[in-house]
Amino acid sequence: MNGAHPDVAQDYQQVPEDFLKHLLGTLVIVIGLVVAASLLFSYPEKQPLTVKAYATQHPIAFEQVLLRALDGQGQIANYGPPYNHGTGSVQSFVQARVGVLHPVNAATDFVLKPLRMAASINPAIAPALNRFVGASATQQAAWEAQAASALGHATLRGGSVIWPASAAGPLPQLLNAGLSLGRSGLMSGALTRNPAVFTRFDSQNTLLFLQGTPLQTNPATQTLAGPNWGIIHPAVNGYPAAWWMTVPTWIYQWPAVANSAAPDALALMIGFLFWLALALTPWIPGWNRVPRVVGIHRLIWREYYHRRGQVGSRHHERSPVSVRE
Amino acid sequence: MANWTVATKRMAATVLSADTWLPTELPEYAQGFMYMLGSLTASSFVVLILSGVLLAMNGPASWSYNGAMHFVAATHFWAVQAFFFFMMLHLWRVFFTGAWRGGRGLTWLLGAVAFLVAIPTAFTGFLINGDLYSQWNAVQAKDGLNALGLGWVNLTNAGQMYGMHVVVLPLTLAAIVGLHITLVRLKSVVPPYPEPAPAVSLQERRGDA
Repeated sequence: MNGAHPDVAQDYQQVPEDFLKHLLGTLVIVIGLVVAASLLFSYPEKQPLTVKAYATQHPIAFEQVLLRALDGQGQIANYGPPYNHGTGSVQSFVQARVGVLHPVNAATDFVLKPLRMAASINPAIAPALNRFVGASATQQAAWEAQAASALGHATLRGGSVIWPASAAGPLPQLLNAGLSLGRSGLMSGALTRNPAVFTRFDSQNTLLFLQGTPLQTNPATQTLAGPNWGIIHPAVNGYPAAWWMTVPTWIYQWPAVANSAAPDALALMIGFLFWLALALTPWIPGWNRVPRVVGIHRLIWREYYHRRGQVGSRHHERSPVSVRE
Repeated sequence: MANWTVATKRMAATVLSADTWLPTELPEYAQGFMYMLGSLTASSFVVLILSGVLLAMNGPASWSYNGAMHFVAATHFWAVQAFFFFMMLHLWRVFFTGAWRGGRGLTWLLGAVAFLVAIPTAFTGFLINGDLYSQWNAVQAKDGLNALGLGWVNLTNAGQMYGMHVVVLPLTLAAIVGLHITLVRLKSVVPPYPEPAPAVSLQERRGDA
């Protein structure tokens, strides 16, 4: 009963209503708005970044991505749970405790397996691949270190990556073969390969392969980057995006969060506290009285207060009381 | 112990009654555009479900090679914009009218939960669209979930995101929104704050004089 709630008015009338007409009306309004916007503006689509496009447009950088996957310096190679046992991107003990749920061995999955598949088409790759795989870990690390240095001085000639003379063993040949595979358009297939099923639902490895330098240096993603308020921006200018994420995106901008060792965990936890304050509004003393103090309700119920004032001042009458609860 | 069947029957008689769902009168204060915002949000959700079913029937990438499905995908995109737009206006309205008063705290809480669940529901839709925005946000947002120990939700797995977007999250959201609307119907919308009549009627007196 309203009588138990002194902060709720009790003197109001019931007026006739056609609820179905109301619902149908709002549905027609939304359909009209949505169809009009779709006809006028279609919707934003930005061509995705493909492995082939990146390999074609950035051959040396592509080989560097392959090398970092191979030598463990890449972000995913050393990420940690849920992909592997690395430590590079572990932000909390909870993350560490979750363990490896979606195993990724960057060297094997991003480089060696795709190259093994390529070698079945181009047998010339096989000797270099066998030499690398058959070498000791120490030898592999030594070649990788030499390759990292040499690739920094590589040049492009006719679209090919020309390596300077180095002691990188089979790596120049292997990484050039990897580049050819990337340019062929076949590499994303090799990355998402799962011999247990023929369906290709899991795009994880293709996305994780591209998630570092390829996507982060893409000019089209710069407005989407975290420091630029990330997700609330569209990939195609002029369209709305996920603007309802403004609060968590704003939290990411706080220096204490942005400079933290665990920015994602911190931002999302603080964002959750904001939501909690919203959700628990009815039970937070003081905060739950803010609307009454602010007084915007007087505008929203202007006509109700107006009518009630008229009735009260002219005739000191009460409208018939209708209690709905 | 009370008879569960009797109690459920009694509750169902109220919850499922035509009087609850097809009211022919409403409180005088609950009129105008401000009181259309909840229905506009629910209507947007209906449009989202209808366009989403059409998209699901034709496959997740059908919009990329079929003109009709491209149009349906556009309606799905604008419907989610409408959904959040009206939901946000509805949120402002219910906040500034203290809509939790009079024993309506649970209605408010369910609305807040619906808002929270709507965010990943929309986000997983963006992820399965398959464009650059999908790629970027999948690889960026994964770090947040991983950091919170929620790595089993694999944002880079399009199959898992498809299931989340078309089954798990919309069903959850529909259930929460359904409960929210049921409570609104059972308890009606919150009456105004009791304001001292003279404060409002003073101008009227001057006008009458």
